[in-house]
Amino acid sequence: MRTNRIGMAALLGLLLQSAAMAAESGTALKADAIRAEPFGDAKTVATLAAGDKVDILKKDGGWLQVKSVKGKGWVRMLSIRKGDTRKGAGAAAGLLGLASGRAGTGKVVATTGIRGLNEEELKAASFNEKELKLDESYAVSKADAQKFAKQGKLVARPFGYLPDAQ
Amino acid sequence: MKTMMQWMSLVGLSLLTFDAAALDLGGLGDKLKELQVNPKLVEAAKELKGPDESEEIAIGRQIAGNLLGAAPLVKDAKLQKYVNQVGMWVASQSERPDLPWHFGVIQSNDVNAFAAPGGYIFVTLGLYRLLQNEADLAGVLGHEVGHVIRKHHLKLLQQSKLVDLGGKALSQQIGGNDKVQQLIGSGAEIVARSLDKDAEFEADRLGVVLATRAGYDAYGLPGVLQQIGHFAKDEGSVALLFKTHPLPDDRLSKLDGAMGDRFDKVKGQDAGKRFYRVK
Repeated sequence: MRTNRIGMAALLGLLLQSAAMAAESGTALKADAIRAEPFGDAKTVATLAAGDKVDILKKDGGWLQVKSVKGKGWVRMLSIRKGDTRKGAGAAAGLLGLASGRAGTGKVVATTGIRGLNEEELKAASFNEKELKLDESYAVSKADAQKFAKQGKLVARPFGYLPDAQ
Repeated sequence: MKTMMQWMSLVGLSLLTFDAAALDLGGLGDKLKELQVNPKLVEAAKELKGPDESEEIAIGRQIAGNLLGAAPLVKDAKLQKYVNQVGMWVASQSERPDLPWHFGVIQSNDVNAFAAPGGYIFVTLGLYRLLQNEADLAGVLGHEVGHVIRKHHLKLLQQSKLVDLGGKALSQQIGGNDKVQQLIGSGAEIVARSLDKDAEFEADRLGVVLATRAGYDAYGLPGVLQQIGHFAKDEGSVALLFKTHPLPDDRLSKLDGAMGDRFDKVKGQDAGKRFYRVK
């Protein structure tokens, strides 16, 4: 059973890896510039129209490098919807479905040993003191979090909250 | 402002129907009774400002305990510690850094995350497996921290008729704090309820900013939403998420409008190298 699970995990890892390496397709959600570099003030190479298909090559922060019939360059990530125009579960959804232990049918694959979480289960749930104490035992102090951030070269910086756009 | 006014009037209405003792979780009511103040006034004051922080934490703790009753923690201490380190660092950037924040990954293949009042936050294993780096995790946790700091669930509890004053809950043997359990309804159903759509959009904006303040790439949360957008709407593992949240495309388009080019000058880390991958 155990080796079975490890084998399964390795297989899934491979599947996900190959999915990540294959060029992903996307669709422009709105008209936007394709730029020479991933910066707002970089030179415009071409302009995408809403609905244009692109191949996504890589990601850099809020930018995606794309290739389209109109040209190759960088587009704002939020101007692109990843994947083909949705028709049921695409190949990616199928893969992810498998990865989450479900085979697309909504049925839990028995071997994973863990299951979903639906409304009824949440409603019927009863208090688990032992798990809660365990959860609380992992708490981290602010000072420890700071140390952890420093190790990861994370530097806190001021940034104002965003107003609602509408 | 308009929603605030609506909320106030809702609270006003619910005053008429609440049992005076229902919200008396702390000692405040008793102390004020000693001063011979009309208890109705005490309750009115409390309802307007909401439960105090210790009550908020007691409510969240009860919800967290119930949620863990439905899905226990993933038994991986390193994972749990890691999620608390990232979560605490993100929460430290908020205006409530001193809440007793707790983060956990729970054993469920569903793709979802939950926040309970007072700083109890959970991510399912199904969602964790979708994350590609620490910035993704920071964005997801930031969204949940956003719910807590704006007290979205607490307000939902106050507004709704979830308060179960019937004998049903009392007659059962329930763990934790019985009084608090009466307030939150049955089990952990509160986390399965939908918040106002605007509360979700607000939490998205807060999540992006908190992750940015913590030094991460701002686009972690949007990236995760794009991933989740791949799921078919009838896929079982996202059923509850899609039922209780606006669809990923709507959230992304709202975020696009709010973020615009504001993040062009802030480069952040994705800290992908040290991202803890579950076996």
